[in-house]
Amino acid sequence: MTLKLGRREFDDDAMLMMAIVNRTPDSFFDKGATWAEDKALARVAQVVADGAEIVDIGGIKAAPGVEIDAAEEKARVVDFVAQVRAEHPDLVISVDTWRAEVGRAVCEAGADVLNDAWGGADPELVDAAAEAGAAVICTHTGGATPRTRPFRVEYDDVVASAIADTMAYADRAVAAGVDPRSVVIDPAHDFGKNTFHSLEVTRRIGEMVDTGRPVLVSLSNKDFVGESLDLPVGERLVGTLAATALCAAAGARIYRVHQVVETRQTVDMVNTVLGRRRPARAIRGLQ
Amino acid sequence: MLVPGVLALLPEYAGIADPVAELRAACVAALGSLAGAGSVVLVADAQGERVARSLLGAAGVAADVVPASNAADPASDPAADPEGAAYVVVANGSARRGEKAPGHLDERARGFDEALGRALRQVDAEHLTRLDRELADQLLVGNPDGFVTLGRLLGGGQGAWRAEVDFAADPFGVQYWVMRWTCES
Repeated sequence: MTLKLGRREFDDDAMLMMAIVNRTPDSFFDKGATWAEDKALARVAQVVADGAEIVDIGGIKAAPGVEIDAAEEKARVVDFVAQVRAEHPDLVISVDTWRAEVGRAVCEAGADVLNDAWGGADPELVDAAAEAGAAVICTHTGGATPRTRPFRVEYDDVVASAIADTMAYADRAVAAGVDPRSVVIDPAHDFGKNTFHSLEVTRRIGEMVDTGRPVLVSLSNKDFVGESLDLPVGERLVGTLAATALCAAAGARIYRVHQVVETRQTVDMVNTVLGRRRPARAIRGLQ
Repeated sequence: MLVPGVLALLPEYAGIADPVAELRAACVAALGSLAGAGSVVLVADAQGERVARSLLGAAGVAADVVPASNAADPASDPAADPEGAAYVVVANGSARRGEKAPGHLDERARGFDEALGRALRQVDAEHLTRLDRELADQLLVGNPDGFVTLGRLLGGGQGAWRAEVDFAADPFGVQYWVMRWTCES
């Protein structure tokens, strides 16, 4: 099925880069590097130049911390979305939020996608997406409360749980009026999951692809990579790309990333090896 | 007509960007002039024949395409081929024209190609039929038999030949020519 993300449509075989742009002073990877608005706008311009089709703008870090209410979240993202829209008319703008109130405001400012990283915590978020003609990312958190860490969470079958929950969420979104072409599912690595869960989801990501819904993966520099390789944030790119390669081979469609260029190269190389993409330019031995 | 047997011209070896776009355009334009020919005789080795058939298809040439009866034996008589046929020779110069060339650098390559190119432009049939085959093999010349046959064809005409050069370059250390000869009698 064609993937429709607000103002843009993408072919079935397109694999898309969703670049993370934090409007936070405290996110784990960039530690506030784009907290200042001019820095955030520069980051958007850079990732667009790097070839990202989507930016994912977030006003609240995922981990526990100072409480950010809806008014503060809106102050961080709504005007910023409007500015990005003005500067990049064709860019797909996603906003990472679980609140319907914030969702409505950002869609009015020009957002195309609501990335609900907390798996439907606010039941009205799908209505906000439907009203605006926006796409929605349906994630699996195992029922976790927003901004909590997993603690002694276990599943009978984490992949079955991810499929059941995200597909149910997707059905709820379609029932609310979201275009069926605009519903994406995401197993949400490390959300409500320990490292073993995230590894299993990665290993079996093809089962999510087999649902027929486009799959988003958010692997970038996460703790499951860090714990797998015993590496701190800042040294997890290679591990991230290895996991990315497996997801690309299995057919995941959207990659939520900090490093656009490296991820694009990884996905392109996988698709080229698998014969889904031609080499950029081949002449060696063929002259 | 002369085109080089460059495998990068085949669709199965296409990348996203075309490294031989200019050469391809020259070949297709030149071969397009054969659209009205009754038949096309190919003077080519097996790879060259694949390249030529693909280019003829791209050029929209619907004529019968047959391999030359003398392709394997340049000493045989080209007159054995269909009357009024257009000939397409698939051959190219040395693949040892530089350090990055497929066959690395051979200092003799440029002189060899220069003399060969001159003979092609000046329709020096004798130079072509007497091509130094041993040296041509050492210089990784593409289908040297083709040049010998071309010499026999150009030497056998009744009138004056006019040579046109559509493309002459060595973008990857291999000498290519796209050329047409028409008999003006």
